[in-house]
Amino acid sequence: MTRTTTAGRIGLAVAVFALLVFTLFPVYWMVSTALDPNAITRGADVLPSGISGEHFSYIFDRGNFGQFLTNSMLVGLGTILISGLLALFAAVAVARFRFRFRTSVLIMVLIVQMVPLEALVIPLFLQMRDYELLNSLIGLTVVYIALSLPFAIWTLRGFVATVPKEVEEAAYLDGCSWPRMFWSVLLPLVAPGLVATSVFAFITAWNEFVFAYTFMKDGSKYTAAVGLFQFFGENSTSWGPVMAGSTLITLPVLVFFIIVQRRLASGLAAGAVKG
Amino acid sequence: MPPESLIEDSAHDDVAATTSPVKSSRPRGGRPSPTLRRKQLGRTTRPWLLLLPSLVVLAGLLLWPLVKVGILSVQDYEVKFGGGVGVYTGFDHYKDLLSDGDLWRTVLPNTAFFAVACVALTVALGTLAALLLQRLGTTWRVICSTAIMAAWAMPAVTGTYVWVWLFSAGDGMMSQLAGSLGLIDPETTNWFTERLSFYAIATLNVVHHGFPFVAITVLAGLLTIPRELYEAGMIDGANAWQRFWKITVPTIKPIFLVVTILSTIWDFKVFTQIYLMPGGAGSNEEVLNLGVWSYQQAFALNDYGAGAATAVLLTLLLLLITIVYIRTLFKESDEL
Amino acid sequence: MRKHVIGALVVTMALGLSACGSGDSGGDGGETSGKGKTLTVWIMEGTNPDPKPFFNEVAAAFKKKTGATVKVEYQQWATAQKKFTTAIEGGPSQVPDVAEVGTTWIPQFAETGGLVDVTDKVKDSGLNDDLVEGLADAGTLDGKQYGMPWYAGVRGLLYRKDIFEKHNLKAPTNWKELRDTALVLKEKEPGMIPFPVAGGAEMFATPFVWGAGGELAIEEGGKWKSGINSPESVKGITYYTDLAKKDKLSPAKVTTWTEKEVATDFQKGKVAMTLSGNWTPKAFVQAAPDLEGKLAAAPIPGETGGMSKSFLGGSYLSTFKGENQDLAWEYVKMVTTGEFATKWAEQTNYFPGQNSLLKEVQAKNDPLVAPFAKQMTEAGATVPKTPAYGQIQATQVVTKMVQSILTGKQTVQEAADQAADEMDKIFAS
Repeated sequence: MTRTTTAGRIGLAVAVFALLVFTLFPVYWMVSTALDPNAITRGADVLPSGISGEHFSYIFDRGNFGQFLTNSMLVGLGTILISGLLALFAAVAVARFRFRFRTSVLIMVLIVQMVPLEALVIPLFLQMRDYELLNSLIGLTVVYIALSLPFAIWTLRGFVATVPKEVEEAAYLDGCSWPRMFWSVLLPLVAPGLVATSVFAFITAWNEFVFAYTFMKDGSKYTAAVGLFQFFGENSTSWGPVMAGSTLITLPVLVFFIIVQRRLASGLAAGAVKG
Repeated sequence: MPPESLIEDSAHDDVAATTSPVKSSRPRGGRPSPTLRRKQLGRTTRPWLLLLPSLVVLAGLLLWPLVKVGILSVQDYEVKFGGGVGVYTGFDHYKDLLSDGDLWRTVLPNTAFFAVACVALTVALGTLAALLLQRLGTTWRVICSTAIMAAWAMPAVTGTYVWVWLFSAGDGMMSQLAGSLGLIDPETTNWFTERLSFYAIATLNVVHHGFPFVAITVLAGLLTIPRELYEAGMIDGANAWQRFWKITVPTIKPIFLVVTILSTIWDFKVFTQIYLMPGGAGSNEEVLNLGVWSYQQAFALNDYGAGAATAVLLTLLLLLITIVYIRTLFKESDEL
Repeated sequence: MRKHVIGALVVTMALGLSACGSGDSGGDGGETSGKGKTLTVWIMEGTNPDPKPFFNEVAAAFKKKTGATVKVEYQQWATAQKKFTTAIEGGPSQVPDVAEVGTTWIPQFAETGGLVDVTDKVKDSGLNDDLVEGLADAGTLDGKQYGMPWYAGVRGLLYRKDIFEKHNLKAPTNWKELRDTALVLKEKEPGMIPFPVAGGAEMFATPFVWGAGGELAIEEGGKWKSGINSPESVKGITYYTDLAKKDKLSPAKVTTWTEKEVATDFQKGKVAMTLSGNWTPKAFVQAAPDLEGKLAAAPIPGETGGMSKSFLGGSYLSTFKGENQDLAWEYVKMVTTGEFATKWAEQTNYFPGQNSLLKEVQAKNDPLVAPFAKQMTEAGATVPKTPAYGQIQATQVVTKMVQSILTGKQTVQEAADQAADEMDKIFAS
């Protein structure tokens, strides 16, 4: 906004500060423990006892973390690409068309994610065995697409709904075909929504544990979220490696987000089309 | 749906069109379209074609297993090598479940109150954060939204351990802080043994991990509101508060609906964050919630039938809440 | 909605049908020559700080002997049960050939029919007379043995030698001395926890139940009945919880602790004396090198002398009904006997599962090993041997009881009665 009073500025600064402290303190704790050579005995000290990269090299050398991160990356990218596309199609269908069973479809999409995942482990495992998709990254990607679709469909539906019909009509009047209108009119307008859903899909795929663990018979096909658990022992937990692993799990999401962030910002311009 | 009157007002605002990066989308002219007939034909088949891929994936991977969970819930199911055996028992699991005093005394109240607190705080904080981000310049917006993303991207497991650390009795940072302020005696207070303080910490953890999703999604929604709408509002003499209620809220309402419903669904199902807290895995009965309870029945007691019944109960409960939500909060508009 | 569900079913079935050609490639075992075959082995992580060199060595030896390749996958204690359960549901194509299975899991897995009964194989190999009794017992149901005992561990009393010497204290030999010693420590070392009464650690509480002459549960005529609320058990629980409640020998934070948190504080030098596993002293020193030379161990004292029994836990190497059962048995034999078994015990600080090997360990008379060995051979105890007890543990009946006493929500008798009720309910189902 353009006009801001001094009081407003101070208020803004305080709000920003509070937000940063609340969001970043646990993150700081994670990173500083990852760097602390004596992580296990750190206790409640605000500052780490020193700085060292030993936990990081440990998880790569002994924890096979490089492989896990690659797997996670493949699965994550596959998930966002396919689920984004499928969800956009579905969202257009439910937001732009009136047809029989439209409401049941929407409710079905909600219901399928109401069941606790833990309850789905065994049925889904047997299902995937029958599809011959166990122990494969593709199978896992398919599961994550399914897990992120309901959210993506509902969110994108909201975004498609905010695009005025008049914009579409105008495109038709200009002689666009439906697919053309879809790609060059609708898509840019719902881009911020696509960013939001792809961030969500990425994080879902990236942090999921139960399926990634139970579906893979082959340890080299584990994802990073599973890799993290190898540092939780029966009688003790190696906090240094756990936090180093967590830091490495957090980082790529941030990088991914910073990349798509531009899209989010450019949505501002795209949104103006509506005017 | 965005408020029609406002859209119409600004639709004739030529200033807006000049900022448009999309060439073909300018609202121009008023001749009747020859494509209208084709559109009508497409109306019946096109939605199903568009839905098909998503429906196949959802049906095959979520709906069918869900049906199986439903079948399990009316069986006594035993895990067996190469595939378990289920014996039909009718609604016994449901009868046992609903007549269990613990369900009504602790599990359900814990789940519901916790979820309500989490959803309210998550949505409120997320929306506030989104509004804040919207007001910031590019640099600070990138910094703040990246910080928010960090809170989201951090694995829930790690986040839980960090919060437990901070609040651990005796030497946890928060305990020492509260102790030095004279609020508690750090040696004799253990926050994890009391229901209220246990869930207060859990709420903090869940909100910390959950509000970024709301913030980012709502922000994305805010960014689709054309600036001209606000300018038009200002010209009409609307103050900031009125602009917020008349322009911002109606436009992002569909998105608001989604984040509220989804937060509710997720917060009712919270499992990891409770399970990993001291006493949360079942050694403190007072803090059990539905997710942990269902898990205990299925995996700890090997009673998959009962676990499935609990899962179905949770699903029905969520369905009920969702429908009531949509009906009461959003009845004035045709949302579904 | 209903129409939609039916549509979904059709889609799913179509997908299901197309996936039918699956199944297992018929493995015709029967020979121990395993050329070209691959054996999948699941090993629990955390027992050996770095298990890879050990298993590489075994794999090389195994390849030389049978020609088969071995693939080891490491599993985590916290999450493995789910993995095992799904794999068992999945059948022969999903289970590993060989797996490390905790003794408390064996009844449950055996009941599913997935584990191979190796009673005859053990007898044929002449191994059965040498197995450590308590451990062999833990994996035997209705006379059938489901795997080879591999290693075992037991909890004893671990204390800070330097602190004890400073205040002229000796390892307690009965419950009164234990309390008196802790009271002295409380007075002299205000910064340390004299004796943690960890509410989340089941196996910290059980020695006091057993030590007072109580039982967790008793088997009568093939049926189990809880014994946790018997006068003896209640006496033991009262003694144990009073250490925290009356004598304040354990602060409030310990109420929700598991053994992990006790270990962490011990490594930080904040615990003077505690129950602890025989595998912990070396691990503690490794994590906190300044504890070197400052630790000492003793068996858990009995009420009026002698020893209180302590849980004897451990792991089996079991074979699943997969395609390479005979080859798998060869592997099990190789790991659990002879050279490799000794080596594993040395690397992990656990005790081997055979008497002959255990004697070798005892003969070394290491002051941090011998007291635990004595505890194990003379006062080891197992939990009730029924799948139901696994469920009792998983629903945390005992820790729930201890915690509700410590927080003052229930008296000892109330809590014990409730725990007994819950146990009986699970036994009955």
